Amino acid sequence: MSIPGLAARNLLRNKLRSFLTVSGVTVGVLAFVLLRTVIWAWTAQSEDTAVDRIVTRHKVTFVMELPMSHFDEIRSMKEVRCATYQNWFGGKDPSHDQEFFATIACDEKTLFDVYDDMETPPDQKKAFLEDKQGALVGEKLMQRLGWKLGQTVVLQSQIYPGDWEFHIVGVYKALRKAVDPAQVFFHWDMLNERRPARIKDHIGWIVSRVAPGASAARTSLAIDEHFDALDVQTLSQDEHAFQQSFLAMFSAVLTALDTVSLVILGIMMLILGNTLAMGVRERTGEYAVLRAIGFLPRHMVALVVAEAAALGFVGGAVGLAVAFPLINLGMGRYIEENFGGMFPFFRVTPSAAIVAMALSIALAVVASVPPALAAYRLRVVDALRRVA
Amino acid sequence: MSEISAASPLRGAAPSPETTPPIIRLKGLKKTFWRGKEAVHVLDGLNLDVPEGSFEALMGPSGSGKTTLLNLCAGLDQPTEGTVEVAGQTISGLSETLLARWRASTIGFVFQSFHLLPVLTAEQNVELPLILAGLSRAERKRRAVIALRAVGLEDRARHLPRQLSGGQEQRVAIARAIVNDPKLIIADEPTGDLDRQSADDVLTLLVRLNRDFGKTVMMVTHDPAAAERAGIIRRLDKGSLL
Amino acid sequence: MIPIAYNLGSLGVRRRTTATAVLGIALVVFVLAGALMLTAGIRRTLGSTGRADGALVIRKGSDAELSSNIDQASVGLILEGPEVRRSEKGAALGSGEVVVVTALEKIGTKGGVSNVNVRGVADNVWLVRPEAHIVDGVPAKAGTDEAVIGARIRGRFKGVELGQSLELRKGRPARIVGVFEAGGSSFESEIWADVDTVRTAFGREGLVSSTTVQLLSMGSFDAFKARIEHDKNLGLEAMRESIYYEKQSENLAKFIGVLGWLISAFFSIGAMIGAMITMYASVSSREREIGTLRALGFSRRSVLASFMLEACLVSLLGGAVGCAASLALGVVRFSMINFATWSEIVFVFEPTARILVIAMVSAVAMGVLGGFLPAVRAARLRPVEAMRGE
Repeated sequence: MSIPGLAARNLLRNKLRSFLTVSGVTVGVLAFVLLRTVIWAWTAQSEDTAVDRIVTRHKVTFVMELPMSHFDEIRSMKEVRCATYQNWFGGKDPSHDQEFFATIACDEKTLFDVYDDMETPPDQKKAFLEDKQGALVGEKLMQRLGWKLGQTVVLQSQIYPGDWEFHIVGVYKALRKAVDPAQVFFHWDMLNERRPARIKDHIGWIVSRVAPGASAARTSLAIDEHFDALDVQTLSQDEHAFQQSFLAMFSAVLTALDTVSLVILGIMMLILGNTLAMGVRERTGEYAVLRAIGFLPRHMVALVVAEAAALGFVGGAVGLAVAFPLINLGMGRYIEENFGGMFPFFRVTPSAAIVAMALSIALAVVASVPPALAAYRLRVVDALRRVA
Repeated sequence: MSEISAASPLRGAAPSPETTPPIIRLKGLKKTFWRGKEAVHVLDGLNLDVPEGSFEALMGPSGSGKTTLLNLCAGLDQPTEGTVEVAGQTISGLSETLLARWRASTIGFVFQSFHLLPVLTAEQNVELPLILAGLSRAERKRRAVIALRAVGLEDRARHLPRQLSGGQEQRVAIARAIVNDPKLIIADEPTGDLDRQSADDVLTLLVRLNRDFGKTVMMVTHDPAAAERAGIIRRLDKGSLL
Repeated sequence: MIPIAYNLGSLGVRRRTTATAVLGIALVVFVLAGALMLTAGIRRTLGSTGRADGALVIRKGSDAELSSNIDQASVGLILEGPEVRRSEKGAALGSGEVVVVTALEKIGTKGGVSNVNVRGVADNVWLVRPEAHIVDGVPAKAGTDEAVIGARIRGRFKGVELGQSLELRKGRPARIVGVFEAGGSSFESEIWADVDTVRTAFGREGLVSSTTVQLLSMGSFDAFKARIEHDKNLGLEAMRESIYYEKQSENLAKFIGVLGWLISAFFSIGAMIGAMITMYASVSSREREIGTLRALGFSRRSVLASFMLEACLVSLLGGAVGCAASLALGVVRFSMINFATWSEIVFVFEPTARILVIAMVSAVAMGVLGGFLPAVRAARLRPVEAMRGE
């Protein structure tokens, strides 16, 4: 029998109170993990990016397009290894008209050089290159819309009138989180043909890979400088900065979620601290006896801290035990399937779990400081008199 | 007049101060408490020698300072002035930490409200002082059992306090008080919460420890029947021995 | 009935625990009220955008003005019908507008860049949208590089302040000459400039994004819609302006709403657990008193009621504190991306009486739920044992 043992036994004294306190910690940990998972899911794409990929678009607004000549000029720059161009199509499947996904007109010849993290079986790649009406569809989108390889689909566009018929000849798997696994790619030529003469031969944006040894940041600047003197200026960002700029637009919400997750932990600490303080107050007599017998003030502190750590640990463990199946098996699946556009990945990462557990115990210990101090400062003589 | 004669085995010992060396020496003991700005002199220059092996009862009205005196002898409190010497060691002026260590090896405590830890069994409660002594588990268990046997509760070793009667709880407390083989047993109203029969059993136990094992006992009590079982009765009033 | 003084006294004596419980409830109420106010703010901003007697015409199939393109020529056709209200001079109250988003540098927080809606408007915009009016500076002169900014984005981006200018395009700065308000709608997060200036700056010669009109009356909409959509070749779609903007807010409001409720649910459970622990301890430490009260003759029910009342007092106090604190959110500006237009919209927290009532009721509910079981335990205490302190 030892200090931790005594602490554990003290917790079992008032089972209801210990149960409620552990529940409080559990709820706190659960909420914290959930919120952090939401934040993680939101920002996941911006973390797993290709360090040498650059996106170049019209400087003023992404709605405006670049002339084709820009592509040729970028491609011939010495810092650039390879490049491709794309246009936004804004496609919708009329039979699933609530589903949002990206439809992109691309240069099929150069797409895979720049996006070597879009894994496609060689025969499908070949079919995509050959079929003028071919479509390359992301794996996740195939699942979401129930499409099959070889199927012909008719899409409509938010920008361009009419019906657009595509043959699904290829399915790609995204090897990096920054690559959206639910897109539709088709031949740019097909789009260009049907565009009015006024806007023919204009591209939406250019994606390039920098040459080995060159830095993405410097190359971005070099590209923008090159076009600065011309009529149509560009804004180039490496993939990470590009994703981050999307997140910046949500910064208010992300900050709010961040703050809330910390506040929840704070509440947890309040509940825990309150429970510990109650325990100390009730056991003053026992502490006095232990001190009389010869235990030192630091032993009393150890008792309180051990209780706190135990509560934190159990609460954290239960919280994680609930969080993992709840999020990874239940909620996460649902969100990935139905809100896959916003949250293609929604699961508890091991690091989030470790952080949650560590915080749970650490904060429990912090919360125990005021009652532990009270136990430390106990004046034996007064305490004995009070009880007797 | 006491009903029990001085020499009776039912009473504690009262060794003569001339022939027996003192185990406690109090010299010029003063203790002042502060109530706001007002100073309360609970003890005002008290001198006392307690012979080893004595069974002393301290009596007096509320506020007479008897509990304060007890606390000073036990090393639970420090005097404002004066010295406290117990078993040849001056304990007044020692640091908290040293006093704690000293108490663990020298004193056995018995309180009015038993103060057994309710979450531990009788045996585990008795063991507590031995944890401080750093003894092995096996050794602690052995000595705890011996102590419980001495108070006649060996068969209740595994019981929790709530499963024991008031008298039994107090006897377990006494077992805890003797398990570290202390020089001095300090008892603060040991029979205060007990019925007549249990009180009697507890006092008999204390007398036995005093007579048969030579333990010095200092007891504060209100109870005349308890005082009668002591070897020496000292009365305090307003901080002075009468 | 046990006098309320007993409860008040008990709460006063155990000040620290009472304060902790009040703080816990206050925090939950604050978060709940905040989330509700934000949702209300979003609904109001986007809901008050657009008039019930206004109609918006965009290209059929486009979901938003941003992706819609209409020939300039069609605008005339749209405006010539009998359903469109006319000014005294007989001019149609309607115009074609060009809508784009431009990236501007944010001021404050972590900087970065965000998208802002730029609307090229005709010079009759103040008549077509009478809910909009200048509150500072002057309206932009037609055919110039002048622009006005919505009150909500004022000072949030570089160059977006009276007297400053921002570049719509290289070498083509737009000077900010005025600030306008528009009934708290999403227009207040936009920049308005001359339609031709915007058109040329963004390469939309001969096009507009949408046409907005004021109808003669709400009832005129059906006829208007029928006429517009009759000619399939034009490829146009008409919808009530208010409905168009409301649809935009739907997803956003739902999103914030769900998030808000989720967070509030967690907070509430936490607060209730805290309240329960506190109440149980309170009952424990007052066992002797309760025993005495019962011995004196107070019934079990009155003890139950008394403790429930105490829990409610705590939660009412917590609710009041939380509500008061949440009102401070009124000064906070919360910007989010409008999912439909990919441009930034600034929302405010909108305190309504209804929200405060909901918040207070929730507080009391938490108190009642959290305090119920402990109150039952108090009521069940047996007087003799309680007084003995078993």
